[in-house]
This record gives sequence, structure tokens and C-alpha cells, in this order.
Amino acid sequence: MAPMETRIRNRRDEMPAIVVMLERFGAEHRVPRKILNEINVALDEALNNIISYAYAANERSEILVRLTIRDGRIIVEVEDSGRPFDPLQAPPPDLSAPLKERKVGGLGIHFIKNLMDEVDYARVAGTNRLRLSKKFAAT
Amino acid sequence: MEIIEIQKERLVIVEPRGRIDTNSAKPFGDRVVELIRSGSRNMLIDLQHILYISSAGFRSLLIARKLADEVQGKLVLCGMSAELKRLFEIGAFTDLFTICATRDEGIAKAQ
Repeated sequence: MAPMETRIRNRRDEMPAIVVMLERFGAEHRVPRKILNEINVALDEALNNIISYAYAANERSEILVRLTIRDGRIIVEVEDSGRPFDPLQAPPPDLSAPLKERKVGGLGIHFIKNLMDEVDYARVAGTNRLRLSKKFAAT
Repeated sequence: MEIIEIQKERLVIVEPRGRIDTNSAKPFGDRVVELIRSGSRNMLIDLQHILYISSAGFRSLLIARKLADEVQGKLVLCGMSAELKRLFEIGAFTDLFTICATRDEGIAKAQ
């Protein structure tokens, strides 16, 4: 099946283009709503992290998002050329803190790990490659 | 994102629609904070039309929750789908909010 991919600039206001692509891809491949919602959350977290932390202030760059279906899974690949960052090595969030001390730092990665079936990271030739995989049964 | 607001005597019901993600979390959070700051002490956020909330949205909800506590107001959530509830569970937010299953229960709780 043909992959679908797009590039966005490293700006938060470009992130809705990725939601649009995922929704289109999901409709074409009859991916259940629940799975699409979970991938949307994971992508929102991954892109927000990259845009927030991978670049120096005012540095302009592009982020590639590619969607593929393989063996009953959606594979989401996110590539950026920002500073090396392995989200799998990030410290876990403190989920036991009471309301007053509660922070959401680290929560994005926690969501990605809990919502996706597989999460892999590699740094290849100056590029961060994040690969998310999620099983689904077409509706 | 579209946000519907319904004033029912002292209670304000806030009904956001769509997704609370990196881009929509700020306008959503700003509006809720503005309502509390301008005197709303009884608020019900009905999440029945929300597809999902990402961590940016949870940050907005946490800020609103803390502010409501500071002003001794009530902030209640209702209408979440099983899927949305799961996100609250993954983030360990269920104990930090007053969550009601239905709008009617939420209205009663937020008075």
C-alpha cells in the first residue's frame, strides 16, 4: 500500500496539516476512530516535543511525517534534523504528585509509550528517526 | 476549536468541540481561566464532543483546576468517552478532577 508523507516547518501552527493527513490516510484505509485518536495524540506529542526542544531559537527546519500500512499495522515515521534526542531515554513523569505540584513534563512521551504498540528511535546521519507502530483491524 | 458556553444561573457549562491538542489547548485554557477570573465559581466542562486530549490540553485543565481551588470554586468534568477516560487514567489525572458520567450529574455536582 502506498505510503503518505508530508513535510511541515518546525512551527506549531503547521501541526494541523499532519492531523489532516492522518485523517485522510485513516479514512482511505478504514482505520477505526479509536486508533486514529491514539495516533493523533502520539503525533501531537512527538511533534510538539521536536518543535519545542530540537532546535535553537529561530532556527528554521522541516519535519517529515510518513504513514505506511504494513502487516495490519500503521507505521508512523517522524524525521527531523534537530539536535539528537532519544525520547525513550527521557525520565518518566511524576504521576503521583498532588495537584499543587503536578507538572506535565515528560507526559508526552508517557502517552506515546502507552498508546503505541512499538516505539523505536534511531539517530541516522544527522537525523532523528522516531518510528511508532500501532496494530489495527480495518472497520 | 469551537467552545459553546451555557450560563445556567450561577453555573457555567463549557462545551469544547473537537480536539484539545498543542494548538487548541491555549485558546481553550485561556477561555476557561478568563471565565474563572471574571467570577465564575461553578463550572462544568462537558467533554462529550472531545475526540482526545494531549498533554498540552491536560496542562490547561490542570491550570484551570488549580485556579478553581485557589478561588474556592467548583470545577467538574463530565461526558467523557471510555477512550478519553483512558487518557485521564494513563496520565493519572482521574484523582485530580471531579469527574461525572452524565451532564445532569455534573450539573448537580458543580452547584
